[in-house]
Amino acid sequence: MRSKILFFLIFFTSVNFLFSQQNYNNLFEKKVKNSYSQFTREKNFNKAQLFFLEKNWDSTLVYSMKQLSSDKKKSELDNYCYFFRGVSFKEKRILNEAKNEFSKISKEFEFYKTVKNFLGQIALEQNEFKKAIDYFKEFENFPETNSFNIKKGEVNHNLGICYLHLNNYEKAELYLLKSTKIQEKEKDTFLLIGAYGDVANLYYNQYKDNLAIPFFEKAYLLSKKVKRYDLKKTTALNLAIVEENRKNLEKSIFYRKEAEKWNDSLTDQNKIWALAEVEKKFAVRQKQKEIEVLQVKNEIRETQRNGLFIIALLLLCIFGIGVYFYLQKIKKNKIILAQKENLDELNATKDKLFSIVSHDLRSSVNTLKSSNSKLMLNLKSNNYEELDGLLHKNAVVANSTYNLLDNLLNWANQQTDQIFFQKESLHLFSVIKQVEYNYKPLVLEKNIELKIEIDKNTFVFMDLDSLKIILRNLLDNSLKFTNENGVISIFTQDYSSEYIQLIIEDTGIGMSDAVIKELLQENTQLSKKSNKETIGTGLGMQLCKSMLLKNEGKLNIESQEEIGTKIILFLPKYTTNE
Amino acid sequence: MNKTNILIIEDTKSESDLLKEILIANDYNIVGIATNYTEALTLFYQHKVDLIIIDVFLNGQPEGITFAETITITPNIAKPFVFLTSSKDRQIFERAKLTKPFSFLLKPFNELEVLYAIEMAVEKFYDQTNVYLSEDEDTVIGNTHLFIKKKNALKKVAIEDIIYIEVEERYCNIITLNEKYLVALSLTKITEFLDANTFSKTHRNYIVNTNKITEIILSENLIMLEGNHKVTLSDKYKDFIHKFKILK
Repeated sequence: MRSKILFFLIFFTSVNFLFSQQNYNNLFEKKVKNSYSQFTREKNFNKAQLFFLEKNWDSTLVYSMKQLSSDKKKSELDNYCYFFRGVSFKEKRILNEAKNEFSKISKEFEFYKTVKNFLGQIALEQNEFKKAIDYFKEFENFPETNSFNIKKGEVNHNLGICYLHLNNYEKAELYLLKSTKIQEKEKDTFLLIGAYGDVANLYYNQYKDNLAIPFFEKAYLLSKKVKRYDLKKTTALNLAIVEENRKNLEKSIFYRKEAEKWNDSLTDQNKIWALAEVEKKFAVRQKQKEIEVLQVKNEIRETQRNGLFIIALLLLCIFGIGVYFYLQKIKKNKIILAQKENLDELNATKDKLFSIVSHDLRSSVNTLKSSNSKLMLNLKSNNYEELDGLLHKNAVVANSTYNLLDNLLNWANQQTDQIFFQKESLHLFSVIKQVEYNYKPLVLEKNIELKIEIDKNTFVFMDLDSLKIILRNLLDNSLKFTNENGVISIFTQDYSSEYIQLIIEDTGIGMSDAVIKELLQENTQLSKKSNKETIGTGLGMQLCKSMLLKNEGKLNIESQEEIGTKIILFLPKYTTNE
Repeated sequence: MNKTNILIIEDTKSESDLLKEILIANDYNIVGIATNYTEALTLFYQHKVDLIIIDVFLNGQPEGITFAETITITPNIAKPFVFLTSSKDRQIFERAKLTKPFSFLLKPFNELEVLYAIEMAVEKFYDQTNVYLSEDEDTVIGNTHLFIKKKNALKKVAIEDIIYIEVEERYCNIITLNEKYLVALSLTKITEFLDANTFSKTHRNYIVNTNKITEIILSENLIMLEGNHKVTLSDKYKDFIHKFKILK
C-alpha cells in the first residue's frame, strides 16, 4: 500500500521536472541571445543557439559539435557549446553524457549556477540524493527573479523530495511546505497539486493521517479545477486509497469510481486520439485513393492521348496514301491522255494510209483491167505484136502492186509486233544478191547499169528479213526514180568498229532538202505524195527507218535534184564474240 | 561426186513444182515430195536423204514443225532441214526455233534465196558457219559425207570412199577410188571434224584413210593404198602404226 503511494510520489517529481524545463524565463532567454551577439561570426554556433532556443536538441548537438571541432578555441564559446550539449543530452535523458558535458564547463561560465542546478536535478534523478542536496542547498534562498532559470519553489520542492527519500521527514516537511507556500504565492496550479500530493505523501508515510488527508483533499479539489485527467485520476485514486485505509469504503468506492471515470476519460481521450489517428489514417488512405484514382485517370488520359495520336498518325498516313494515289491517278491520266493523242495520231496515219493505199490499188488494178481488155481485143484481132508490150506493162504494174501490199503487210506486222525477230550473222553480199535477183528483169528493161561492189567477207548482225525489206525498198525506190540508161551502184565502206556503211547511189531525179527532211523526220506520219506519176506512199521509207531502228542501224540521205540520190545505211557489224 | 538428195515436204503443188524446178536446175536430186506428215516420214526412211525442205503448215496444221521435232529428237537420224513459210508469225517461229539449229525460207522465194537457205542449213547443222559464203572455203564436213559447193549447188562425197587427202596450202586433193577433187578446206578443219580413228596423218601433207591401207613398207617409208595409190610415211608420224595389231 505504501509503495503504491510512493510510486505516485515519484510520478509527481517527474511531472515537476517536466514543467520546470518547459519554459525558460525571459531573462535567461535574453542572456542566451546576447551570448550569440558576441560570436556573430561563428555560423555553426549561431545555428546551434537557434536550435537550442527552438528546443531542437538533435540539431543543437550536431552544430555545437561542429563548432567545437573547428579550430578556433574560445573558452567562452566552448562553455556555451558544452552547456547546449549538456542541456540537450539531459532533455534526451542521456544523463551520464549530460553530466559529462556539464563537468567540462569552467567555473567562470556565466550560467555556472544554472549548470549546478541541472547537475542537482540529474543527481536527484539518479537517486544520489545527498549529492543533489549539496547542489540544491546553494539555491535554497535564491531570489525569486534571476537570470539563471532557477525557481525557488522548485528548488525547495526538489530538496523536500530528497529528504523524503532519505526518510528525513522533518526537513522534508520543512522544504515541501516552503515550496507549497511559494507555489501558492505564484499560483502555479499544476505544480501546486504535485506539491500538495508530495506533502500529503510525506505525512501519510509518517502515519500522520490527520495532517495528510487535508493535503490529499486540497490536491483533489485543486485537480478538479484543471483539465489534466491524469492529475485528477491520481488525486482521486490517492483519496480512494486513504479512505479505504480508514475503512470508509463508501467514500473509497466513490473516489475509486471517480478515478475510474477520469481513467476512462483519459482512455477516452486516448481513444479520441486513437480515433483521430485512425481518421487521419483513413483520410490519408482516402487521399491516397484519390491520388490513385487521379493516377489511373491520368493513365487513361495518357492512353487516350496516345490513341488519339496514333489515330491522327493513321489518318495522316491514309491521307498521304490518298494523295499518293491521287497523284498517281493524275500521272496515269496524263499518260493515258498522251497515249490517246498518240493513238489518235496513229489512227489518223492509218486512215490516211488506208485511203492512199486504196487509191493506189484502185488505180493499178484499173490499169490492169483496161490492159486486160486491150489484151483480149488484140488477141481477138490476132494482133500479137501488141501483146508482148502489154504483158510487160502488166508485169510491172503487178510487181509494184505486190511490193505495195508486201510493205503494207510488213507495216501491219510491225505495228502489232507479231513478226519473229532474230538477229544473226548475215553475209551482206549474198543477201543483196538475193534481193537484186528479183529486180533483174526491170534492170534489164530500163537498161540500167547496176553495180554491186561488196567485200565478200562482210558480215552484218541483223534480222535477215528486216535487211531484205530494207534493201528491197531502197532498191525499188532507186530503180523507180532512175531513168533509163542510168546507173545504180551499191557498195560498202568500212565506217567504224561498230558499223558498216552500205551506200546505194543512183542517178535518179533526186530530192529537195525539204523532202529529205520530211523523210528523215522521226514521226510516223506518212510523207505527202509528191511524185504523182509513180506509185508511192512513203510507207517504204518509214518501214526502212523503223526496221533499221530495231536492228540498231541508222540511215542518212544525200541528194541533189536532177543529179541523184545517195542513201547511206549504217549497219551493225558482226563481231565473233557476239 | 554425187548430187545432194533433197526431200520436199509441201502440200501446195505450185510451190513444190517451183522448188523442184529450181533445185533440179541447180543439180540437186529430189528424192520425193511429201504432202503430209506420214508420207514425209515414209519417204524419209525409204531414201538416203541429205536435206529436207519443210513447209511449216501442211493442210492448215503446223505438221511441218512436228516432223522437224520428230527427226530432231530421234537419235542418229537428224538431217539438215529448211523451214518454208509464208508468215513470220511469232508463235509459230518460237516453236520452230526449238528444233535447233534451224533455217527458214520465206515465201515468195527466188532461186538465190532457196540455194542460200540450203547452204545455211548445212552449215548450221554441222556447226561450220561461214564456209560457203567466204572465199576461203567451200566444203562442210558432215557425218557421212563432205558437202562441197560446186558453182551454185552442193555436191557430196562419201567420207568412207576417201582413200587419202593431200593437203596443199589452202586446198586439199581428195582422192577416191575413181575420182580426184580439189576442194578449199583447211587442215585444222579436217583434224577437227574427221574421225581421228579412221584418218591418220602420215606426212605433213597426207592424211590417210586407215581402212584403205593395203600395205606398209617401212623400209621405203611407203604406204600402199587401195587403187595402187602410194603415200609417203614420214618419221615424225610413224607412231600411227601402233594403232594396228601387227601380225607376226
